[in-house]
Amino acid sequence: MSILQKIKNTVRSRSIHVSYVDVGSCNGCDIEVLACLAPRYDIEQYGIYVHNNPREADVLLVIGSVTPQWVDKLRDIWDKIPEPKVAVAIGNCPISGCVYARRGTLTSPPVEKYIPIAAQVPGCPPRPTEILNAILSVAPLIFKDYEEKQP
Amino acid sequence: MRSIVYYVREFLRPEWIRKFFSVKTAPLETPSYFKGYPTRTEKECTGCFTCMMICPAPGAIAVLRKKDEWEPEVYPGHCIRCGLCVEACPEGVLSSGRILDVTRRDRTAFASWYHLDVDDNLCMRCGNCCVSCPVNRQIDPQLAGTGTSASDEVIMRIEGGRVRILHMEKCTGCTTCETQCPNRAIRVARMVEGVQLGEAEA
Repeated sequence: MSILQKIKNTVRSRSIHVSYVDVGSCNGCDIEVLACLAPRYDIEQYGIYVHNNPREADVLLVIGSVTPQWVDKLRDIWDKIPEPKVAVAIGNCPISGCVYARRGTLTSPPVEKYIPIAAQVPGCPPRPTEILNAILSVAPLIFKDYEEKQP
Repeated sequence: MRSIVYYVREFLRPEWIRKFFSVKTAPLETPSYFKGYPTRTEKECTGCFTCMMICPAPGAIAVLRKKDEWEPEVYPGHCIRCGLCVEACPEGVLSSGRILDVTRRDRTAFASWYHLDVDDNLCMRCGNCCVSCPVNRQIDPQLAGTGTSASDEVIMRIEGGRVRILHMEKCTGCTTCETQCPNRAIRVARMVEGVQLGEAEA
């Protein structure tokens, strides 16, 4: 392993930039993501920073069952994120549609149809600790030795 | 000048630097009373499907027949962890957080019954509902054809050219009448009400 890769691993483990996008949920999961930022859970002490610019992000938190307006825009956002990148589905909505998975609703879950999802956090809404654990456990899997894993 | 020196000395302490760069609060643990996904207790499931009927999330719980016993299965991507199945189960097969303890302490339960409703504007008085109803058939084997009956004990019968519901409490919720109705005039609804036991007795 080159020294450059080691430096990258160290830096990436302490600097995970998160962008979240709500593609049509009830806002319950947004509140739980915001609770991660609050002092009680304090996501920044783990080196995770939230700023909603996909061009600066490493992790995309997808919240909500997908509404028709978001189908193409979600793909755009995913394409804007620089490599290495990872998408995490937060809550039941991106997995199954939750209570919106009924006849007559304008949603088309799951979100895996549109972008590749690396991890799912089920719950309606999930606890902030569950969100935190998911980001912390999925990030090293993707970001560690990213350049060496490339074919 | 003295304050600057003070601050520099404060921030150069190894302990301060270590604390600055490491995680400060311990990872928070899930409290014991947290309503997680319902888990099985050792009680035996009777397959009454009360949990499936009360569940508000589509596809969250299914009672499956496995070998020789019923087994409720919860699907995490669908379950919203409301705990209604835990509360509604008459046998206490499921458990989640302290729901079972609280229901036992407060002696709360869910009472359910079936409500029959006939829309007189849609009903064309064919009597299919009265004839097809298996409970009706058991009470009055003579009931046939137009749905009229001499018995007062039937759930519903045709009286004076319209459906009259006599004994709603006898309905078992099989919805045979709903499926036999040609224009969806009769609807069966399952009503659920939270009740507190023992208050009336005490």
